[in-house]
Amino acid sequence: MTDVLDSLRDLNVAVLHRRDATGDELLQQVHRIGCPVESHWPVPESLPDKVDLLFTEVNEESQTDLHRMLERARRVPLTLVAIIGYENPSVLSAVQKIGAHAIVTKPVRAAGVLSAMVMARHYWADRCRFNRDLEKMRTRLDSLQKVNDAKFILMRHHGIDDKEAYSIIRKQAMSKRTTTIEIAQSIINADGILRNFRSD
Amino acid sequence: MINKGPWRVGVLFSTSGVTSIIEKSQLKGAMLAIDEINAAGGVRGRPIEPVCYNPNSVVARYGELAEQLIREDRIDVIFGCYMSSSRKEVLPIVERRNALFFYPTLYEGFEYSPNVMYGGAIPNQNSVPLGNHLMETYGRRIYFVGSDYVYPRESNRVMRHVIRQGGGEVLGEEYLPLRTTTATFKDVVARIMEAKPDAIFSTVVGQGCINFYRAYYEAGGRGMERPIASLTTNEAEIEQIGPEASAGHITAAPYFRNLESAANRRFLASYTEKYGSTADVTSCGEAAYSQMHLFAIALEETGEMDADALRASLQGTSFDAPQGTISVDPENNHTYLHALIARVDEKGEFVIAHKVRQSIKPDPYLVYPALNDWKFRTQKVVSS
Repeated sequence: MTDVLDSLRDLNVAVLHRRDATGDELLQQVHRIGCPVESHWPVPESLPDKVDLLFTEVNEESQTDLHRMLERARRVPLTLVAIIGYENPSVLSAVQKIGAHAIVTKPVRAAGVLSAMVMARHYWADRCRFNRDLEKMRTRLDSLQKVNDAKFILMRHHGIDDKEAYSIIRKQAMSKRTTTIEIAQSIINADGILRNFRSD
Repeated sequence: MINKGPWRVGVLFSTSGVTSIIEKSQLKGAMLAIDEINAAGGVRGRPIEPVCYNPNSVVARYGELAEQLIREDRIDVIFGCYMSSSRKEVLPIVERRNALFFYPTLYEGFEYSPNVMYGGAIPNQNSVPLGNHLMETYGRRIYFVGSDYVYPRESNRVMRHVIRQGGGEVLGEEYLPLRTTTATFKDVVARIMEAKPDAIFSTVVGQGCINFYRAYYEAGGRGMERPIASLTTNEAEIEQIGPEASAGHITAAPYFRNLESAANRRFLASYTEKYGSTADVTSCGEAAYSQMHLFAIALEETGEMDADALRASLQGTSFDAPQGTISVDPENNHTYLHALIARVDEKGEFVIAHKVRQSIKPDPYLVYPALNDWKFRTQKVVSS
């Protein structure tokens, strides 16, 4: 949480809203908080790459241009704060669909904007970390599965136990200066080729 | 029909209870300004008439009385409050009823309301200059003592950051209830004496502040050797603590009674004429005085008590205050203020030792102030 506060003023903020009382109040408060802020309206084709956090109006209309713009946005996902006028189910499901990290409700008051920004950023950072961790876990699980498969192949062909099978893989990896996963993959590939060969 | 009656304003300062010492000085500041404005012919020929209530330092009473002022007395402009917790009571009421609320007290920042005019210093205007000064003059090992509410905790967060940035160390951090007796402070003081810091940073407010300084003195703590530095200990508290126990201690504030300037001499002469003495003149009292004058300047322009019109007029308005020229920052309704650092001498008088060259722009949402910011550098004040 402290990290979010620490780097708050490094955030580039954009506001996608009509320049009415809500739009102005929001722009002024973000400026008071001390973040560089720009206003866009109507929804532009694309956002500048530097934007980190986006306040955007979300309503019950289909908002295809907003979705198109967000898809076109850079690969690192934006931190999104939805501005909503109605708390009805269609608006709230639109908020979820767009993947907002926090909400401010209209009429926008100065108090609450900072909390929304901090919570959105915190939640966004968590999500990014979870995604990264998840990706890492998937890769690791995948490798583990590969090494296991290779071990079984060796055990079947050579009548050895799994400790011995693993030590063969490890020795091979060390002598070829590669990873156990690479060796496991080669064993699996070779086994597949040999099996096809036999069945011909 | 042209209304020729007085302009009525609400005033909410406690004349009894834990924070009454400081709030009485705020009340006096506001009343003095009203007298001056009325003596000079009022605003557009009509006098300002205060409607004062005493919330008795009870937090919830500030909200109730603000409601009463607006609903029953039909008043749209209110001056008052010392503690942040009492301001938080008044805030939703003035917002709901679109009244204008003048808050002449230092506080912890992180707030903006279109219905509040903030007249006191926020951390970038007082904590940073004080932190700089302490570490340059006394050393880097600091002990924190505060009253247990939002202001001390937030101002300690800022001070902790300033001290760490300067390579210093926070030796201890303690929070005590608002009503703490000299006896209870004995334990705290014993721990301080044990830790041997270079200075103590105190955000103990109200009666507790007086008890703390006395307990420190009784335990052998001497300001001339190891000072207590504060943002809240004003002339009024020093007066009560007494010259022996307060000698050597330090305070940072936008204003001190002993400031040498023509505007301050005029202010003190006017104060003496009304109250007979200047013993209880404080920076919060000066803020209340200056905010009342700022209000009168704006009202002269708008000619109506409407909050939106007054706010628009106040933003950017400046006033030749006792501390020097101050002005309302149109970006955030806080005030450009000066920063002075003063030390109490053997006679119990603040002597201004350092000051920041220009008034400092308020930055209410500053999370981590930069210690090396040139704006916060203090310069020595040569006594005449």
